[in-house]
Amino acid sequence: MSLLSCIGIAACLTALLLLRIYFVLPAFGRDSKYASKRRKGKATVRASADMTLCVVLGSGGHTAEMMRLLQGVEFDRYMQRLYVVGDSDALSLDQIGIVERRGNTYNEEYFVERVPRSREVGQPWLTAPLSVARCLVRTASIFLDYRPDVVLCNGPGNCVVACVVALVPRILGLKRIPIIYVESFARVRTLSLSGKILYLLADRFIVQWPGLVSTYPRAEYIPHLV
Amino acid sequence: MSVYVTVGSTGFDRLIQTVSGKAFLQALSSQGFRRLVVQYGTSAHKFEPPATWSDTHGISIESFDYTSRPSRLIEKADLIISHAGTGSILEALHSGTPIIIVVNRELMDDHQSEIAHELASSGYVAVAEPATLVDAIARNVYMGLVPYPAADPRPIGEIIDEETL
Repeated sequence: MSLLSCIGIAACLTALLLLRIYFVLPAFGRDSKYASKRRKGKATVRASADMTLCVVLGSGGHTAEMMRLLQGVEFDRYMQRLYVVGDSDALSLDQIGIVERRGNTYNEEYFVERVPRSREVGQPWLTAPLSVARCLVRTASIFLDYRPDVVLCNGPGNCVVACVVALVPRILGLKRIPIIYVESFARVRTLSLSGKILYLLADRFIVQWPGLVSTYPRAEYIPHLV
Repeated sequence: MSVYVTVGSTGFDRLIQTVSGKAFLQALSSQGFRRLVVQYGTSAHKFEPPATWSDTHGISIESFDYTSRPSRLIEKADLIISHAGTGSILEALHSGTPIIIVVNRELMDDHQSEIAHELASSGYVAVAEPATLVDAIARNVYMGLVPYPAADPRPIGEIIDEETL
């Protein structure tokens, strides 16, 4: 096969991939099947409660907020919780233990998996592709093991990697894993870098201050979550 | 009455330096505080409290680098002086303990002062910088703060439910 036809095929596949991505990401407003289901207010609880909720945790501040947000989630429906924690984050384990010990004892099943941080604070951006790749591979292997049904994250760097991994089954037409992103309480006027990226990738994008909605119209403002 | 100073998981050299100084201790003493607890994180080298009893103005001082249970210390304190980390701020707001948020202008990304100023404009917290902290104590900026509304995170659970229909 000639080089030209190889390039031609690669270009076609890339174009198809981009088109597919355009159609599955809610940010582009074409994810109509799920949007219309929500508009019809179909809030009936799914019969099966056997779902795995993946919670992405990063450094201290994000974890503290996430633990508060999780108080609003009924663990009865998400019988398994998978906490994906950045490697160098030592403080999260205690906090996970505290939030998991509430409520009934027999519905508790949670797992903690470590991932190498996609980028440490202050790390030169030049070395970032390598650390991101390591994080990506590890996260992908975790997702293959646990098959989470939904991802909840609030800002640390490794959450972008987790969301990209979560989107792959959707792009391939295999499984739709919804992504819910809650921007930090500290973000009053600007979004974090993760927030700006996930604004395009997340299915629901929640902010805690009203000023952000004018710049980011897809964002949903909900006060007093934490 | 006791004061709890916290800088979170990193450090805040200028704040730690300020709170180990004589002027700060004198201001605390004049406001009726008798105990100071300092969580200095990576700024241990900046924490140099006075050696003599008279210089400490009768304030008993404890210090350490990290704690895994900050909520206990925050609840027990009568005043919190904290970096602008959301964890510490939320603990203080929900425990009803007055808080002075100290912003760090030396940080590259100053977005953290957004939350400090936003909360201060609604009267929930007081804000200072290391250079203005002693004056803030002397002026009781931490009195008369507005109680913070209780949190309700249930919308998050509802949103997750909606998306997993």
